Amino acid sequence: VNALNDLRERARALLSSARWRRELDEELRFHVEREVEERVRRGEDEAAARRAARVKLGSREAVGEYVRDATGVRPLQDLLSDVRYALRSLRRDPLYAIAAVAVLGLGLGAGATVFAVWDSVLVSPLPYREANRLVRVGQLFRQNTSIWQLSAVDAQAILEQQRVFEEFGLVAGGAAALSGAGTPERIPVGRVTAGFFRALDVGVVAGRPLAPTDETPDAPPVVLVTKDLADRRLGGAGGAIGRTLTLDGVGHTVVGVLSRRTDELPGFGASVWPVLKLRPPTRRGPFWLRGIGRLRAGVSLEAATRDMAAIGDRIFPLWASSFQDRTARITPVPLRDTIVGDTGRSLALFAVAVTLVLLVAIVNVTTLALVRASAREAELAIRATLGAGRLRLARLPLVEGLVVGGVAGVLGLGLAALSLRSLALWAPGLPRLLEVGLDGRAVAFVIGAALLSGLLVSASPVRAALRGAGDLSRHRDGRRTGADRRTTTLRSALVVTEFALALPLLLGAGLLFQSWTRLQQVNPGFDATGAVSVRVDLPAARYAGEPERLRFWQALEERATASPGTTAGGLTTELPPEDVGNVNNFNLVDRPVGAGEAEHLAPWVSVTPGYFDTLGIPLQEGRMFTDRDSGDAPPVVLVSRSWAERYYRGQSAVGRQMVSGGCTTCPHTTVVGVVGDVKYLGLAESGDAVYSPFAESPPRTAHLVVRTTLLPGNAFRALRETVSGLDSELPLVEQTLTSRLDEALTGPARSTAVLGSFASVAVTLSALGVFGLLSYAVRKRHREIGVRIALGAGPGGIARMVVGGGLRLAAVGSAIGLGLAMLEERWLQKFLFGVAANDIFTIASVTLALLLVACLACVIPGLRAARINPVEAIAAD
Amino acid sequence: VHEPADLFPGSLELLVLKALSLEAMHGWGIGQRLDQMSGEVFHVTQGSLYPALQRMLRRGWIKPEWRVTENNRRARYYLITAAGRRELETQTAAWQRASGAVNGILQFRLSGGGQ
Repeated sequence: VNALNDLRERARALLSSARWRRELDEELRFHVEREVEERVRRGEDEAAARRAARVKLGSREAVGEYVRDATGVRPLQDLLSDVRYALRSLRRDPLYAIAAVAVLGLGLGAGATVFAVWDSVLVSPLPYREANRLVRVGQLFRQNTSIWQLSAVDAQAILEQQRVFEEFGLVAGGAAALSGAGTPERIPVGRVTAGFFRALDVGVVAGRPLAPTDETPDAPPVVLVTKDLADRRLGGAGGAIGRTLTLDGVGHTVVGVLSRRTDELPGFGASVWPVLKLRPPTRRGPFWLRGIGRLRAGVSLEAATRDMAAIGDRIFPLWASSFQDRTARITPVPLRDTIVGDTGRSLALFAVAVTLVLLVAIVNVTTLALVRASAREAELAIRATLGAGRLRLARLPLVEGLVVGGVAGVLGLGLAALSLRSLALWAPGLPRLLEVGLDGRAVAFVIGAALLSGLLVSASPVRAALRGAGDLSRHRDGRRTGADRRTTTLRSALVVTEFALALPLLLGAGLLFQSWTRLQQVNPGFDATGAVSVRVDLPAARYAGEPERLRFWQALEERATASPGTTAGGLTTELPPEDVGNVNNFNLVDRPVGAGEAEHLAPWVSVTPGYFDTLGIPLQEGRMFTDRDSGDAPPVVLVSRSWAERYYRGQSAVGRQMVSGGCTTCPHTTVVGVVGDVKYLGLAESGDAVYSPFAESPPRTAHLVVRTTLLPGNAFRALRETVSGLDSELPLVEQTLTSRLDEALTGPARSTAVLGSFASVAVTLSALGVFGLLSYAVRKRHREIGVRIALGAGPGGIARMVVGGGLRLAAVGSAIGLGLAMLEERWLQKFLFGVAANDIFTIASVTLALLLVACLACVIPGLRAARINPVEAIAAD
Repeated sequence: VHEPADLFPGSLELLVLKALSLEAMHGWGIGQRLDQMSGEVFHVTQGSLYPALQRMLRRGWIKPEWRVTENNRRARYYLITAAGRRELETQTAAWQRASGAVNGILQFRLSGGGQ
């Protein structure tokens, strides 16, 4: 209570200080009046009484000071007056103030943003109880570092044999048509076993969790929903229980409402979680399940790895007929790693760039502060001569630096808050996006960085003051003393550092830009103009058999192709140029892989012949699919040119046979033709592809692609009508092929733009740095230059001397920067396409550009030096 | 800046607390009361009284209140708080123990000594 009271009294004295003073004054005046009154009452003459009272009580001002001391706020008031002084002197030099605050604020804002993202995505634990015990279980191949999913065989073996998990569950991500009322909607769903939520330790707020009995084949289908979905569509958590959701035509009873936003559940943004029922497997694949396990307390990841590998070894021989890759290992991986994935890599790129910019910003403001401090040397010297203590003198630049840092910190926090709010715009694929925010640690980071930059900025003026700037004579005419030479060296070193930091940023931006333009020039292998697509998903319940599906797809293709404005139409299971869903393994009959080795992989696309016409993909060899390539006819495929070149360079691929999908008992698949390359794995990847006839096994999900003369909006309307004419309950996903191409380029464009803006900031800062340094040097050497001119040096020579001095620093800095960049060469290469990290053209042009900017920055001080009037300069003292 | 000291350190607060424990008073009144209670031995100056009052406010022993005097003038009165009364008790006890001890020392004679 006492401490609180103390604080209150201090705050009162500090905050309402005007009122506080008035009241104290009134109190003291009353005291004097009362004293006079008393004396008069005792018989003294009034004038004499007043005098006596004054003498007895002393000066009211002095008493006021004593009382103020007693409030205990004097140090704070002193600090406030220092801050006021700093603000006043900054206001007298607005260019410096604005430049310093803006530059530091930008640096701090960028730093805080990246820190917050880094901290939330990579450092902070996942939002689950003891999240470090959570692992994802998948297949890991020797050839491939990314984790594959599990098959039903793997999952059941793990459930039966594992000894390391407290809970183990499965999830299969996907989408389902939610129908019943209103427009059918296609929503992401996560099909899960009861163990999934148990492993994550996510409970329900209403109803009950999933139970293992729900997974039995004849149990009624049940579903959990998120709180959000329950509120939005089912009338709240309580009302949702017992309602029926129709998913892909199958009614599911809602049994529980999850206690958490499912955005947080690993890897999936689903709001509907139907129970997952596994059917008894007939072969080792397909691999479509993610395993999530919670390690038992005290069980290490290594122990779990051994346990999982042993299970894999035990089941391998049982299913060897359908799966021969011995390098595949069932492996647990920390859940966090699989969610965060390689975000760390691109974040590291940003973190390095931002750290460089922040450093350049600090270095630059330090240079500016140095120039400013030397301009004030005379003022400091006068103050010292008048008796100001060294500590007092050192406090002024320190407080000023901290004020600059503080204001910049506030600016930085604002910028970071803004950029984090728009994070979804510029980093839409970021994992854990919703967890990112300006939390306490990020704020602490900004405060720390702001104070640190404030200290760094004020460091050398403070040191100068502590060393004793009090020698007035030394500063009178700018003669070059030892201390001067030292600070000049320091300043030059700072400029060199700036260029050394700017060059790698500029080089990085240049390389990314080159890589991006190369990516734009990549031939995607298809003609996107005028091509639109709709994705159609047939619910399993109503389209269980292949004949029904085939009937639907054939009718759809026929009607869509016949509709007005359409010039071609076809069906496909995959759309270029990236995000292919189905990559299949195969083994060539005439050149099989060695025993125990992994088979080859290729994107596997199921299409109708119309697909090739629609996208303008040429048949280069062999024959197109015909109506006979369906159902029980011998399986055939078309392959892409790249595929043919990879496996049969210089020979014909037509007629070759393969075993596809590891199915050794199935009839061999024959290559009947070769078509042009199309990118399915991304523009930067190879054009390998294998096409199988759509009619061979009609899928449940496919894209209808048409080439049309209509505008996209009209084309989509026509396609919607065509689809609903066949089945009114099917949800559609509409996309133009042009937009797919654009999307494939936005990611690289975005990183080019971001690094480019960092680089331009860094270059501007370096130019500012060398400009400031030379301006300062010219001012400082005013007299010397005057003497040189008087002795016959021409203006050209003087300008060359100044500019040359600046360029030398820029060149040294750039050389160091090049060295730094080369150290990171291999790392940089990972981000590039079609251009080498040591591309001599890019290196030469960015170095030249940087030196050109430096040259421009040197010209103004150079000209100023050349125009010095020798008479004035020498007479100045 | 140092305020003039005229009493044992800390004793002024004790005396002010004692005076305020009898009734609420304004600053001048406190000075008068201390003069009177001490038999004119202590003269408390503004220079030490008001800083002391400020310190006691901070510690929460007293609280201020603007009131109208019997002569219809506005004056800042000080009231003792519950914390102030507790403080008065402890300080009184401590003072009595200390002054007893000091008296004991001053009256001490070596028995049988004659130097």
